[in-house]
Amino acid sequence: MALIDRILKEGSKQADEIEVVYGEGSSVSADLKQRTVRLASRSDDCGLAIRVIRNGRIGSSTTNDPENWKRCLDAAVASANLATSQPWNGLPGPSAEIAEDTLCFDPSISLEPPIVRNLLTTMLDGAGSHKAEVTSASASLSVGTMTIANSAGLLATSRNTGVSISMEAIAGQSTGSEFDQSCFMDVNPYNVGEKATFFAARSAGGKEIATGSYDIILSPVAYAELLGGVFVPALSGRNVHAGRSRLADSLGKEVMDPRFSLYDDPRLQKGLGSALRDGEGVPTRRVDFVDKGILRSFAYDLRTAYRYGKATTGNAVRGGASGGTSIGHHNLVFDGPRSDIAQEPAIYVHSVIGAHTANPMSGDFSVEMANAFHMEAGSFGEPVRSAMLAGNVFDMHHNIVGISREVRQIGSLLLPSIRVAGLRVIGK
Amino acid sequence: MNLPSGVRFYDLRHVTGQATLIDIDNGVVESAGTSFFNKTVVRVLGPHGWGILEADNVSPENKQRIGDLIRSAAGLAAITGQEITLSDAPHGSLEVPRLQQNSLDLSLEEKTDLLSGIEKAAALPGIVNRRANYIERSERIEYSDSSGTEASCRMCWSGFNVLAVASRNGNVQMGYERMHTIRGIDLRHQEEYGKKAAELAISLLDAGHAKGGRMRAVLDPELAGVFAHEAVGHASEGDLVQEGNSVLAGKIGEKIGSERLTIVDDPTLPEFGFEPFDAEGVSVRRTEIIRNGVIHSYLHSRETLAAVGNGIPGHARAMPGEAPIVRMSNTFIENGDAKLDEIMEACGTGILLRGSRGGQVDPGRGVFQFNAEYGYLVENGECTRMVRDVSLSGDILSTLHDILLCGNDRKMSPGYCGKNGQSVPVSDGAPHILLENAVVGGSGVD
Repeated sequence: MALIDRILKEGSKQADEIEVVYGEGSSVSADLKQRTVRLASRSDDCGLAIRVIRNGRIGSSTTNDPENWKRCLDAAVASANLATSQPWNGLPGPSAEIAEDTLCFDPSISLEPPIVRNLLTTMLDGAGSHKAEVTSASASLSVGTMTIANSAGLLATSRNTGVSISMEAIAGQSTGSEFDQSCFMDVNPYNVGEKATFFAARSAGGKEIATGSYDIILSPVAYAELLGGVFVPALSGRNVHAGRSRLADSLGKEVMDPRFSLYDDPRLQKGLGSALRDGEGVPTRRVDFVDKGILRSFAYDLRTAYRYGKATTGNAVRGGASGGTSIGHHNLVFDGPRSDIAQEPAIYVHSVIGAHTANPMSGDFSVEMANAFHMEAGSFGEPVRSAMLAGNVFDMHHNIVGISREVRQIGSLLLPSIRVAGLRVIGK
Repeated sequence: MNLPSGVRFYDLRHVTGQATLIDIDNGVVESAGTSFFNKTVVRVLGPHGWGILEADNVSPENKQRIGDLIRSAAGLAAITGQEITLSDAPHGSLEVPRLQQNSLDLSLEEKTDLLSGIEKAAALPGIVNRRANYIERSERIEYSDSSGTEASCRMCWSGFNVLAVASRNGNVQMGYERMHTIRGIDLRHQEEYGKKAAELAISLLDAGHAKGGRMRAVLDPELAGVFAHEAVGHASEGDLVQEGNSVLAGKIGEKIGSERLTIVDDPTLPEFGFEPFDAEGVSVRRTEIIRNGVIHSYLHSRETLAAVGNGIPGHARAMPGEAPIVRMSNTFIENGDAKLDEIMEACGTGILLRGSRGGQVDPGRGVFQFNAEYGYLVENGECTRMVRDVSLSGDILSTLHDILLCGNDRKMSPGYCGKNGQSVPVSDGAPHILLENAVVGGSGVD
């Protein structure tokens, strides 16, 4: 705290406003190579981010070496001198209602290597459920704190913990993988192991599929990859006003089937992205991006809001203490009436290869399907050997005919499986 | 050297440096600044496997702190069970290619002005957004290990990207150009890149969708380089081979592709993936992964070479403060002897694909996907209609037999490659190549 005060004091002499973020974190992890532990590691890191505002010019710098904060402050001021001036109405001040943020904190998590090893062992137990070989697996535990303070009087600390596990398996030339992640010690390692070998074993012996139009069920994993790379960036106010969003002219218009909604719920219990304040210290609130099919809002941070005469939606996010801020979301929820979407015949796609090659402007994608099956009457049928799936992420949202009852948290996304009518499958 | 009890080997990699980023968005200088880092990773090989400590702000001269890190890492190694051994390896360092004279000595303000010129050059009619980024990252890397190996170097990776977005009646398309180098980027007289990005975005507004299916495809050097990287490079990485997660495991000496095909990974080439020594202090050398269609070598670290065999060490790489893993560097398909017009003529009817938006591979399943920025339908050896958003997918063990021709115009393209959460600079390259039976994914229908 003394360090933060010194930087605030010194920085206030050189700029109209200053913001200091300091974070420390540690993690312990271990990796399996096949069935034995190959390595165990511990990481201890820290980060300092300084942002200054002078005459509407915003400058920033980061370092992981807090003793050298003066160099970091000088770099932030130099950076402000080069930035283009913009309208600026101040950093957020303190508010009494918010104390320490522990929404993502589990005091029972401690960084003990034997706990990590036990997570791996339980995954291996689960993996024994199906005939597939484990190729690799990983488990990690983390704890951290982050403090944000600014010259408007804000001082807020958040504490966080995390546990993350994953496993990969293979049966012949058929692969499967699974993962789980939480801020609390409630991951299910047995299930992760079981699912990894299930997908490897169950996908073996697949048959070719004829090229054509099919009803597709995208698992939360597959849907997250397409939604996260294309639809989410198009909701960013910065991209909207810069002309980089296909949704820019769609406020008040229908952008998906009118039964469905997409909103940010930052204070969700056990949400991986839950936070009382955003990355700039602005109190978070629910943001309804798409309400019953109609686009209602974009996401704003302070910089973008001030520049375009809007209000911040509390959607500034930070990639750790030594990362800058950008516009994002906390817990993005896709919601609507739920049903049993796997009764009628469809192709189930568990994941896709190459989602990051989707065109983020137009939304067009053509990806390779992974762990795909014919599905009928709620159960997996014959696996599909190899095929591509092509379509458009924006257009696809008008053709979502149903969503599953089960919801899965994938990073900061909370998604059901979705059933999409008439996507193009290219067989081989 | 005396090793603490239970420690067979340890090494230390200390990286300090700074990164300068400039971001100009539609004429607005959003940010232009420098950040600093100081990161260390200590690896200890215990009685069985590795204990690894990653820490910030450690000075290698602080022997007491280093000793503490080694002891902590040894404690972590106690929970491991894999019997790891390290192969012998030659040590030594190449000279880092010299920076072009004074190219990076300009002030941040001058660099911002020059980048702004590149960004403005994309302001053609029909362009709704232009964005240019400059990145300059310099590192001082110091390596030492318990066998007395020491190596150090300074490296600098710099370059710029320029994006232009064109929009018409709800149709939004982008053009993207980039230039990155280890020799110090010269931002002067590069406005052509901005203009090219804008022209591409505008022409894509009128491009059609490819109809998915099997066809003959000509890949330009950039895309064919990504093909080599995705289809062969990853599956040849020794760690994946060792864990049974590569279709190339056990295939040394087998013919898996056309006789025309030789694929190489060469960290000694002065391209974007160059390293003077690897992240284990091992001297770097060229590895022929495939020679004349036959699987010849895997890419290895000291650990994976000892476990798997067939190759040389020197392919371990790491981000600052992270443990080394087996990685590609400069990966390419060797030149053949075909001229481009011969390749187009041999293609007859098919598709010509250009540029890359990246790709991905499942090495265990042997299936890969990669994406071209754009292409042209080819009829009678001539380019006709422009198409956009074209992906290709293939099967590692069959697609390489379908390479009908390799050109003689190899070119390397810089980029970054991600694996296990670590991103490292690489380059990929190839001559133009002709593929038969290429599976093209497009949403177009007749």
